[in-house]
Amino acid sequence: MDVTVIPAPALDGLRPTPLLTEERVGHYPEFRDFFRRSFDLDRVGLAAPGCVRAPSGNPYLLVFLGRSGEPFPSGVEIQALPPGLEPLDEAEADRDLYAILRWMVAGVGAPWSVEALEGTARLYRVPAAG
Amino acid sequence: MTIAVPDPARADWPYTARFARVNGRRMAHVDEGSGAPVLLLHGNPAWGYLYRDVIPPLLAAGRRVVVPDMIGFGLSEKPRSEHAHSLDGHISNLVALVRQLDLRDATFVCHDWGGPTGFGCALTEPGRVAALAIMSTWAWPSPPAAFHDAIFPWRMMHAPLVGPWLLGTHGALAGRGMYLSVVDRARFRDRAQAAYEAALPDPADRLLTWVWPRWIPLDDGVRATARFAWLEAGLRASCWPTLLVWGREDEVFDAATFAARFKALIPHAEGPHLVRGRHFLQEDSGPEIAALLLEFLTRNGV
Repeated sequence: MDVTVIPAPALDGLRPTPLLTEERVGHYPEFRDFFRRSFDLDRVGLAAPGCVRAPSGNPYLLVFLGRSGEPFPSGVEIQALPPGLEPLDEAEADRDLYAILRWMVAGVGAPWSVEALEGTARLYRVPAAG
Repeated sequence: MTIAVPDPARADWPYTARFARVNGRRMAHVDEGSGAPVLLLHGNPAWGYLYRDVIPPLLAAGRRVVVPDMIGFGLSEKPRSEHAHSLDGHISNLVALVRQLDLRDATFVCHDWGGPTGFGCALTEPGRVAALAIMSTWAWPSPPAAFHDAIFPWRMMHAPLVGPWLLGTHGALAGRGMYLSVVDRARFRDRAQAAYEAALPDPADRLLTWVWPRWIPLDDGVRATARFAWLEAGLRASCWPTLLVWGREDEVFDAATFAARFKALIPHAEGPHLVRGRHFLQEDSGPEIAALLLEFLTRNGV
């Protein structure tokens, strides 16, 4: 999948830029469980964001969200980290997001499948899906 | 924030937008004509524009026509938080509007999520209802169709993070999704698709397009199950004149399953009358739907 969990980089000189916000990561609880496992969230909690390196080589922060009365995490925000004042390369970021989603779905496992995600993205003609 | 009618819709949407406050939100609606009111209710991801071919014949026949844009769609306010949306909240929005407009002897025309919300409003305000018309929707707690139960494409479309990406960033439902759910796709693409897409111009505007699928009770014990059971029981006990109109080519809420189940739930319902159409049958058969409605209402003295 070419997506790997890495330590979050120092943010000096980078501009955290929200790309995608999910308020209900536990709508299907197996997705919440995937993030808890992948980022050791039972131990880390809200102390630090998660981070992955995407196929472009760029890092992306996963900022987990908590909501009173709900299991943690209740949500997650994916942030790009473009340098300084550089505009975001949107096409590259979208290809990376698609790769992160495929990595997530593969990690969640059956009955969810990367093939189902790719088929859905192709059905709706998302450019990143080719 | 969309308040003006989107440019692609102006040519065939001449109506003045009116605005009501419901549950603290701005709800747009059309309110034209006089006489016995007909309330035209849309679902996901449409707005009142879906009924543009239904409205003129109703007005010409001397009906008052009320067409709200659901909060989150069309010209109505679009809350930015998923937690602003719930099935009960949307039912309550309609209840508020119906009371503010003091609709009486109204015919509720219910399509897609205009079904569960419209039925909920009708059962809350039964004294204001004269008749029901039901199109391509459902009102029971079990998964609506095998289509909705499958991972590909339905559950995947609204899965965590996939929903905000596919339906938000890429606007898949108001564009390609509706396109796939009409019969005459070329006509829809040339005539209407831009009007739906323009009403949801930015990713955050499209929030409800992935939130509504999450309110379908697909698994045991999930939210809204009790509300759908209440809707089913209420409709079973109802005695309003009821008309079923279905798209012949509807392969999601197929007539053989869904119209038949409504017929079993409401045995006195007329129909189903099959017209050309998939899920968004108003796009292919608006005038025919209006004619069926008028004939039904006239014959029933509504």
